[in-house]
Amino acid sequence: MVQIIGCENRLTSIVRLGISDRLEEFYNTMNAYPGLPEFDYLKPETYAEASEFLVTHAGEARPFIGGTDLFVQMRDRVLRPKYLVDVKGLEGMDEISFDNSGGLTIGAGVNMNRLIAAPEVAEHYQILAEAAQSVASYQLRTRATIVGNICNASPAGDTIGASLLLDGMLNIYGGQGMRQEALSTFFLGPGETILQTGDIVTSIWFPRPPDGVKGKYIKLGRNKLSDLSIVGVTAVGYPDADTVSGTHFKLALASVAPVPLVVEKVGEILGVTPVTEETLKDAAEAAMEACTPIDDVRGSARYRKLMVRNLSLNALKDVWHQLSLLNA
Amino acid sequence: MGFHRINLTVNGEMEQVDVTGYMTLLDMLREKLVLTGTKNGCAAGECGACTVMMNGEPVNSCLVLAVECDQALIVTVEGLARDTQLDPIQKAIMDAGGVQCGYCTPGVLIASRALLDRNPDPSESEIRAALVGNLCRCTGYIRIIEGVQEAAKM
Amino acid sequence: MVVSETKPNPVGESKPRLDAREKVTGAAIFGDDIQFGNALLHARILRSPHPHARIISIDTRQAEALPGVKAVVTGKGFPGYIGLYLLDRHIFCRDRVRYVGDPVAGVAAISEAIAEDALELIEVEYEILKPVIDPEYGVSSEATLIHPELDQYQVASFILPQPNSNISNYFKIRKGDVDSAWDNCAAIVERKYRIPHIQHVPIEPHVAVAQVDASGGITLWGSSQSPFAQRNLIAQALGISQSDMRVIAPYVGGGFGSKAGVSMESLAVAIATKVKGRPVKLLLTREEEFFTAFVRQGLIAYFKMGCDGDGNLLAMENKFYWDSGAYTEYGVNITRASGYSSSGPYEVPNVKTDSYCVYTNHPVGGPMRGVGMPEMHAGLEQCIDELAQQIGMDQVEFRRINCVKEGSILVTGGKMHPTGLLQCLEKTAEAIGWGHKAEASAANKRRGKGLALMWKAPAMPPNAGSSAWVELAEDGRVTVGVGGQDLGQGSFTVAAQMAAAALGVPYEWVRVATPLDTRYSPYEWQTVASRLTWSMGNAVVNAAKDARQQILEMTAEAWDEDLENLDILNGMVVSYKSEREIPLENIVIYGLPKADDQGWIGGPVIGRGKFMPDYVTGLDPETGQGERAVVHYTTGAQAVELEVDLDTGQIEILRGAAAFDVGKAINPELVRAQIEGGFVQGMSSALFESLNLKDGYVQNPSFVDYRIATSSDVPGGIQSIIVEVPQDDGPWGARGVGEHSMVPTIPAIANAIYDAVGVRFDGPPFTAEKVYLTMLEAGIVK
Repeated sequence: MVQIIGCENRLTSIVRLGISDRLEEFYNTMNAYPGLPEFDYLKPETYAEASEFLVTHAGEARPFIGGTDLFVQMRDRVLRPKYLVDVKGLEGMDEISFDNSGGLTIGAGVNMNRLIAAPEVAEHYQILAEAAQSVASYQLRTRATIVGNICNASPAGDTIGASLLLDGMLNIYGGQGMRQEALSTFFLGPGETILQTGDIVTSIWFPRPPDGVKGKYIKLGRNKLSDLSIVGVTAVGYPDADTVSGTHFKLALASVAPVPLVVEKVGEILGVTPVTEETLKDAAEAAMEACTPIDDVRGSARYRKLMVRNLSLNALKDVWHQLSLLNA
Repeated sequence: MGFHRINLTVNGEMEQVDVTGYMTLLDMLREKLVLTGTKNGCAAGECGACTVMMNGEPVNSCLVLAVECDQALIVTVEGLARDTQLDPIQKAIMDAGGVQCGYCTPGVLIASRALLDRNPDPSESEIRAALVGNLCRCTGYIRIIEGVQEAAKM
Repeated sequence: MVVSETKPNPVGESKPRLDAREKVTGAAIFGDDIQFGNALLHARILRSPHPHARIISIDTRQAEALPGVKAVVTGKGFPGYIGLYLLDRHIFCRDRVRYVGDPVAGVAAISEAIAEDALELIEVEYEILKPVIDPEYGVSSEATLIHPELDQYQVASFILPQPNSNISNYFKIRKGDVDSAWDNCAAIVERKYRIPHIQHVPIEPHVAVAQVDASGGITLWGSSQSPFAQRNLIAQALGISQSDMRVIAPYVGGGFGSKAGVSMESLAVAIATKVKGRPVKLLLTREEEFFTAFVRQGLIAYFKMGCDGDGNLLAMENKFYWDSGAYTEYGVNITRASGYSSSGPYEVPNVKTDSYCVYTNHPVGGPMRGVGMPEMHAGLEQCIDELAQQIGMDQVEFRRINCVKEGSILVTGGKMHPTGLLQCLEKTAEAIGWGHKAEASAANKRRGKGLALMWKAPAMPPNAGSSAWVELAEDGRVTVGVGGQDLGQGSFTVAAQMAAAALGVPYEWVRVATPLDTRYSPYEWQTVASRLTWSMGNAVVNAAKDARQQILEMTAEAWDEDLENLDILNGMVVSYKSEREIPLENIVIYGLPKADDQGWIGGPVIGRGKFMPDYVTGLDPETGQGERAVVHYTTGAQAVELEVDLDTGQIEILRGAAAFDVGKAINPELVRAQIEGGFVQGMSSALFESLNLKDGYVQNPSFVDYRIATSSDVPGGIQSIIVEVPQDDGPWGARGVGEHSMVPTIPAIANAIYDAVGVRFDGPPFTAEKVYLTMLEAGIVK
C-alpha cells in the first residue's frame, strides 16, 4: 500500500493526490487565504474606461460591486485577480426607477436592503423583495446586490428565480455599447454566463408585471434564515383569460440543476384544465421530474427531488390561495 | 501595489489614512486606527463579529475594502457611547445578561443599533431576523433578543 | 466551610458581571487586540495535505530566500514531545504526518501575506501511508499503527495505552455479573450510535503571540483557558525551566475546551525561538479553526441494557470506540471519564464497559464542553426511554426509580453523595408539562416532548489544584488574584462575589487582577471541567479568610480585644463587644498604632489560599472499581417540546426546560445564562453540527457549510431551574454547571422527535434530510 510521490508543494499536491474535484474544493477552503490576497483597486470614471481596462487586462481584472461572493472566492483561492475594477460608482448604478409603462429598473449597484425597502418593489414586484429578504444577513445585504447575485450565476442564487419569472432583462455595457440580454438565456453553467470580457451589467429591467400577480418564495435551508438553499422554489401566478384555468402559473427552482431552472411544464399543466388539488400535485410532480440535483454537503439528490415536489406544491398552493382571495 | 489616500469619519473623528487596495475596512480599523473593538471572526462575512456601521447601515467590515470608505461615515462599537454615557443598546444588552465572552458583542451591538435606527419598535421575529448574521456561541441569543427589546423601550 | 449567612452576603445574589462594561464598549482586550508595534512578525503554517504519510524530506531553501521571510521552522530542531496526559505529539511533525492539517513547517515573515506566499515555496516529499479513518477498524490487528512508538511515550498513571495497537487508553468497568443478569431481564434494549466529530466554534479564533528575550526567557500571549498548563507543557517540550516560560492570557472570546491544554500555541513559540527578540503572531483562520484546533472526537457507542418487570435496571453493557484522532494527549482522559460515568446517572448493579481511545487519521480530538458526556448520554438516554417504553412504563417514572440518589452504589463501586437529581427530574417534567400533549400548530406538523437526565464529574487528575491571593489597597478596595480564566462563564464575577462575602466588603469593592499572567497570577491547573466555582472558589475563599484573619488579629491586638468579638462588615472592622469600629482604608497597608504611640502593628495585607482535593483514589485497572473515582457529580435534567415538519423534516424547538443541581448558585443569573447557553449549544449540535470527514478530509471547514444555531433557530424561552443540594466541600456548597447544560440536549431532542413521529436515528445531527428520509422509510410520509 505504500505509494511514493515526488516533491510537491501545497497546490500541486492536489493534482498528485488525484483527489476528486469536490475534495479539491474542500482542500482549497481548508487552506483559505488569511486575508484578501494582494490586488490593485481601480475606480474608473466612465463605462468606457472601465470596459477598456477589463479588456486590456483580460484574465487579470474583474469588475466588482459588493464583493460579497468575489472576496470569499479569492480567499478560497478560486480566483486571484490582479486588479479589481469598482464599477458601482458609474452613472446610473445606484438608481432605482419605476413607471407604469416602462417597468422597473434596478441599477447594478442598488443593494438588496434598498431593493427590499423600495415601495415600488413592494407594491408591484413583491416576490423579488421576498427572495432578496432570504439572502444571508441584513449586514451582508447592505453590500449584496441583485445584479451581483445574478452575475455570480450560482444555481443557489435566491433572487434569480424571481428575476427569471418576472422576465428580467439585463442592461449591459460592452465593447459595442449598450445591449439587453434576457435572463432566460443568460446562464451557461455554475458560475458561467454569456458575459464577455469587458461587459459591465449596468442594471436589470423588469416589465410591468401582469395585473394581479402573486408570488411565493420557499427556501429550504439548514437554518431557518441566513443559510444557502438546499432547495429554493419560486412560484408566481396571475389571472390570464387565455388559459382554460384562467390563471397562468410559473415556477423556478434553485439548487437543483447546474443553472437556475424554470419548469415550463408547470404553466402548461396548470393552464389547460381548471386548477385543483390534483393538478397542483401533478405540477409539483412535474417540477420534481424536471430537476437534476446532485449530492453535496448541503443535501442529497434524492432529498432535493422530494423537497422540490413538496415545496413546489406548497408554493403553488400558496399562490393559488392568494389569487383566490383576490377573486373573492 | 499602490497606496490610496482616503478621508473618512470614524466615530465622529476625521481621519486620513493611506491604504492598499486590498486592505479591508476591518484591518484598517484594527491596524491603522487601532480601534480593536471590532473583531475578526471568520473573514468571510458569516459570523458578524466585524459588523460596523457604514453611512448609517451595518456592513461586515471584513468584506468592505478600506479604499471604498473614502468620504464614508463609520461607527464602530467604540463610537456607541457618548463619553461615559452608554448607548441604550449597550446598557440593555449588558443588563439582560446578553454578554458572556464578549467577542460577538461589538457586532451584535452595531447590528442591533442599526435595527433600532430603522425600526424603533421591532417585533421579536424582526429582532431575530436582524441578528441572524451575528453568530454567538455563548448566550444562546435569548438574552440578546431580550436586551434589544428592552433597548427599544428606552 | 459554610460561611455564616447572617451578615450582608453578596453570594447568592445576581451581581452584575465585572467585565460587562468593558465588553460592551469595545475596551476589553483579547489576544489579537494587543499591540506589538512594527517589530511584530506574522506566522503561517504549512500543513499536511495527507491524512497519513511519512515525511521523506523537506526543502525550505526557496522559502527562506523570499524577501520578508525571517525564519522557516520545521520539526528538526524540536525533538521534544508535548501532551497533557500522554506525551504523543511533537510541536512540528518530524518523521510522520497523521492528519490533514498536521503542522509540517512554519514561516515567520514581515506580513501574513508574505508568510503565506512562502508556504508555497516549501517542498515536502511524502511517502503515503494507509490511513485509519474508522475507530472500530482502528483497533483491529490489520490497521496501520499510527503511533508505533506508543509504548515509549510518557503517560499519566491512570491512563492505560495498549502497546502495538492504536489504542492509547483502554478503560474497563467490571461491576457485578452482567452475563448472568440478562436472564433476569424482562426487557432488553440493544443499540448502536454514531456521534460525529464537531467543533467548538468559539467566535474568537485561536491566536498566539510569542517572543523570546535576550536571556532566552519566553513570553506567550494567547487566547487561553490554561496558561499554567501551557507554561508547563511547552517548557517541558522545549527542555527549559517553567520559570523561563511566561504565559499572559487576556480575555478569551469563547473556549468550550478548544483553548485548553496546548494546541497551536507551541507553534508560535517554536517559531519565535528562531527570530530572537521579535514577537511572532499566529492567528488561525476560521477554516483552520475547524480542522487544526481541537475537535470534539467522534464516538461509536454500543449499548445493551435491561430491566426487570418492575422497571429496575439490572444490567448495562457498553462499548465505546472513541475516534480520537491523530494525537490523543488530551483525549485519553475523555475515554476514561466516559468509562467511570458509563452507567449514566443510574444505579445499576451489573455493569460492563469497555472504552477505547483509538488513534485515527482524523483531526485531533480534545476536550469539549462536557468531555465525553454529551456524546455518551446521546445514546444512553435514548435507550433508557426505549426500555421504559418496552415495559410500558412512563419514562419519567422509570427514571425516578433508577436514577442515582444519595447513597446509591456508583458504577465505580463508591457511594453517591447528596444529590438533587430527583428534584431536577420532577421540576423539569413539570415545567415541560410532561404527560400533556399539545396540538400541533399546523396540519403538516407533529408535536412531541422529550426528556433526558445527565450527570458529569470534573474530568481531571485527582490532584488538580487551585490557588488565589487577596490584597487590599489604601482605600480598602480589594484585588483578587486568580489563575483561572473567564471565558464568558463569569468566573471573575463569581470570584469577586466570594471574596467580598468571605472578607466582609461590598461586592463593588472587589476587582480581579487581569490579564492572567503566570508570572504574577497564582497557580490554577486549567479552566476546564466546570471546576472553577468549586475549586478556585475554595482557594479564593481561603485567601479572603486569610486576609480577614490578618486584619482581625492586628485589630484585636491594637484594641486589646478578643478575636472572636471582632468582625468585618461592609468594609469596617467592628467589635461586637466594645462597639468600636474602623474602616479598612489605610489600616490594611499601614497597620494600626499601638497605644500611647508605642509603635505599630500589622502592615500590608495579602491573603493567600489554596485548594486541592486529596481524597480521590485510584481505580482497579481490571474492574474500574475504587473508593472514590471523582470529586463529585453535578446532575440535572432537560426537556424540550418541538415540532416536526412533515413536508421537509425540519425540526423546530418550541421551548425548553432544564434543572441542574448546582449545590449553591453563587450568582443565579450567571447560572441561568449557562443553562440557556448550554441548551442552545446542545441544540445546535443536535440539529446542525457535524464535521463531515471523507477519507480524512473535512468537507465543511467554514461557516458556509458548518452551520451553528443562529438567532432564528432558538426557542422563545428556556425555563431554567436551579436546584441546590450542597456539596460538602464546595464554597457555600457550590459545584459547577458550565458544561452540564449541554449534556442532555441531544437525547432530549431525539426522544421528543420519537414522541412526535415515532422514528429514531443512529446519531445526530437530526437534519431535516435525515428526519424526512427516515420518516419516508417508516411510511410516515410519502
